[in-house]
Amino acid sequence: MSGAIFRQSVWWAHGALAIAAFSLLALMIGLAVSIGEISIPLATTAKAVSNRLLGTTFELSRIHQGIIWDYRLSRALVAASAGASLALSGAVLQALLRNPLAEPYVLGVSAGASTGAVGVMLLGFGYGVLSLSSGAFIGAVIAFLLVAFLAAGAGGTSERIILCGVAGSQLFNAATSYIVTTSANAEQARGVMFWLLGSLSGIRWPDVYLAVPVTVLGFVVSLFHVRALDAFVFGTDAAASLGIAVRRVQVVLLGTTALMTATVVSMVGAIGFVGLVIPHAARFLVGPTHDRLLPATVLGGAIFMVGADIISRIIIPQQVLPIGVVTALFGAPAFAVILYRARRTA
Amino acid sequence: MSISLDNVSFTAGNSLIVNGVSLTVQTGTVLGLLGPNGSGKSSLLRLICRLRKVRSGIVRLGESDVSTMARSDLARRVAFVEQQATTETQLTAKDVVRLGRTPHRSLLSPLGAKDDAAVDEALSRVGMEGRARQLWQTLSGGERQRVHIARALAQSPTELLLDEPTNHLDIQHQLEILGLISRLGVTCIIALHDLNLAAMFCDQLAVLQRGKIVATGTPQHVLTRDLIGDVFGVQAHVETSSIHGRCNIQYIIA
Amino acid sequence: MCKFLAAIALAFGFAGLAAPSLAATQYPLTINNCGREVVFNKAPANIVSIGQGMTEVLFSLGLADRIAGTAVWVGPVLPQYAEVNARIKRLADNDPSFESVVGQEPDLVAAEFEWHVGQQGSVGKREQFAELGINTYIAPADCVAKVNADSGDGVRKELFTMGLIYREIAELAEIFDITDRGDALIAELQQREARAVASVAGAAAKNLPVVFWFSSKEINGDAFIAGKNSAPAYILKMLGAKNVVATDEEWPLVGWETIAEANPAVIVVATMDRRRYAADDPTVKLNFLAKDPVTSQLDAVRNKRFVMMDAQSMNPTIRTIDGIEILAKGINSFGLAQ
Repeated sequence: MSGAIFRQSVWWAHGALAIAAFSLLALMIGLAVSIGEISIPLATTAKAVSNRLLGTTFELSRIHQGIIWDYRLSRALVAASAGASLALSGAVLQALLRNPLAEPYVLGVSAGASTGAVGVMLLGFGYGVLSLSSGAFIGAVIAFLLVAFLAAGAGGTSERIILCGVAGSQLFNAATSYIVTTSANAEQARGVMFWLLGSLSGIRWPDVYLAVPVTVLGFVVSLFHVRALDAFVFGTDAAASLGIAVRRVQVVLLGTTALMTATVVSMVGAIGFVGLVIPHAARFLVGPTHDRLLPATVLGGAIFMVGADIISRIIIPQQVLPIGVVTALFGAPAFAVILYRARRTA
Repeated sequence: MSISLDNVSFTAGNSLIVNGVSLTVQTGTVLGLLGPNGSGKSSLLRLICRLRKVRSGIVRLGESDVSTMARSDLARRVAFVEQQATTETQLTAKDVVRLGRTPHRSLLSPLGAKDDAAVDEALSRVGMEGRARQLWQTLSGGERQRVHIARALAQSPTELLLDEPTNHLDIQHQLEILGLISRLGVTCIIALHDLNLAAMFCDQLAVLQRGKIVATGTPQHVLTRDLIGDVFGVQAHVETSSIHGRCNIQYIIA
Repeated sequence: MCKFLAAIALAFGFAGLAAPSLAATQYPLTINNCGREVVFNKAPANIVSIGQGMTEVLFSLGLADRIAGTAVWVGPVLPQYAEVNARIKRLADNDPSFESVVGQEPDLVAAEFEWHVGQQGSVGKREQFAELGINTYIAPADCVAKVNADSGDGVRKELFTMGLIYREIAELAEIFDITDRGDALIAELQQREARAVASVAGAAAKNLPVVFWFSSKEINGDAFIAGKNSAPAYILKMLGAKNVVATDEEWPLVGWETIAEANPAVIVVATMDRRRYAADDPTVKLNFLAKDPVTSQLDAVRNKRFVMMDAQSMNPTIRTIDGIEILAKGINSFGLAQ
């Protein structure tokens, strides 16, 4: 008995699934735009979107128009793109590192981002020139490069890469703790922790222009490597014997996932579980071969994140829950189910 | 000749694993590679398909130097079966064999008729065609090994390298697989532990000891009492079998 | 209507006085301060003051010469005390360490906030100081009807009033046996408050929606806005205006959607020296308001109805009176008081 629902190569079934997924994503984005801290009637939302997209001239309060288009729509798009990036990174890392528990932060990216952020926030790194996001991005990249350097020196096998990632994460987490304990008072430390949990509240359209192209780029690069990703399943030697340029593929794909993850983390903080759980859910639906898995993962990640954002805004009235808490609320039980299923078939 | 090695050496860290090995394998023949653990058999196989880089010497496939060949060309010619390759991904046996078609597929092409034919043929040659849809995780050790061999066969190779392919198989399948390999008509190098099986199925043998070739030739020529005692450290009596006409080694336990 | 409110303010002021005025203090004096009985055997001679508001109250009572060290400064000291402040050792701009405070050998540690000296005090717990024979005094404004256990700035259950500051002045005056100075200070503050309130009488300032923006963690993100029981809320109540925020938290994080929907008529922007968050800088705040696609549409932003106010005036301190004066002036200058 096969392990996936849609794993047969019936192309029209996959086409139908793709259309359904896109529709669901569009619907979720529509919901995200209609729901928020203040309630705006659906008709108004529709008119506002139509005014901007189609150039109609409905009479609307300019504040409502701004809220719907500049605040909510940009936020929904960034949420979708962040979810897609994280899920895609998770899938690629799970294949490259041959580890079903791999996820985007395994190479130290999130730890480096938090060090960069607290460096800017508490030590005044690049004061006046560097924003919090830029500091986080730079920290993320430095951490990744350090881990890559270590891993290359240690032999570059999947296990070694993971170990170097763990070491790198620990190092940068320690650096973050050091900075926080020596430079911050309790209030600042609280602020830092809040940032680490993830927040979409400051998103505007310029962020969309950064987030979406990075996701698209990452997706295209990964699609180019679907055969290679499949070939890694039995390890680097097996992949090489099938004609894959192992080192080059590792560098390109790890670099791409690092770029996608660093962009997301620096923009919205460290949101967990998406990169870990969505690839498994996608595998469950369409099977493990990457030409189907990657598109399913990207769509699944986008839908999940937009949904999590909506929930984070409505679950407690008058308050916005950090989105990392919502993804954990749903991600942790899903993860337990994954482990349980894996146990049964092992 | 199909495969030739010219004074090939390989180091890992500070130790010399393969030391000046020169070897030729005629097209279409089966060469058995023998030697105790640590003699360099696995490394030698990996050098031939360029999974590792030689420190000195040249490996040739036909007329071409392996180190100058394009990776994809190399993969279309040479297939390699490892000792042990596992995965946790939920693949079916057919998925695994399909991977063997990777060097022949371009990025955008779906699986064509030629690919499907190669996959089906490979599966039936190893006797797993009925289990094509079964999950990898549910196969026994021997069945997994057969699927790996099928994957190598699906690569449509002209040279086939196998690293102890019969380790996990029961005797029936050991004989079946080795018989299959010997009848393939493809140039093969098999690393083996079992001297009798090597004698039965290989056209030529090469014996490695501490990275150096100490004997090459037909099984008759190579498997002598003295060599076996010297290289493998066991007492044996060698005679020609009246059943299959090949060497038969009987071990003497003190 | 506003005269009536002014009368209430005065009544609060008198009610805040704990002891009959003009009598000398009887030692040993026991004060019930923030849930703890503190005993003074004589007027303290060596004070460490943690919190700009507390320090400025002590300056106003003429106790500068008894202060051995200060800490926690949000902005520049009231100009009239600049000279005297320059001669006093500043232990830290932010939180001082326990040892640096104790190293000054004080007999009184006065704190503006419970999160510095209190149950979860970042400088120290009151017991720690007591073990070393040091008395502690915490501003009543931070513990009366206020829960400081969980969220950042605490949750205030009842509206802050200047009465709490007057109580602080009166208690400190009693501790130091200078009740005449204390009473005079209270009277002066009450007068200023009454004048400022009167200046916006006749209010279209009535129910004017106003928002106090302290800072934000990210420039584009949610903003720290004064809660419904905070000192700014008191300012608004005295002037008859309306706070757009309804939560009990002292400085809740509020999204710009909500603020925009409330369409405030006046935005009070905090100015401060601190640069912990990018939005601490008032020019950054004004820049955001002008450039953001939604806030740039607000009435207050289109008509540039900004009141720049020192952050210290937004905290429950004697500068709250300054805050009333500044906002009243602003409302008048926008022609909204007619």
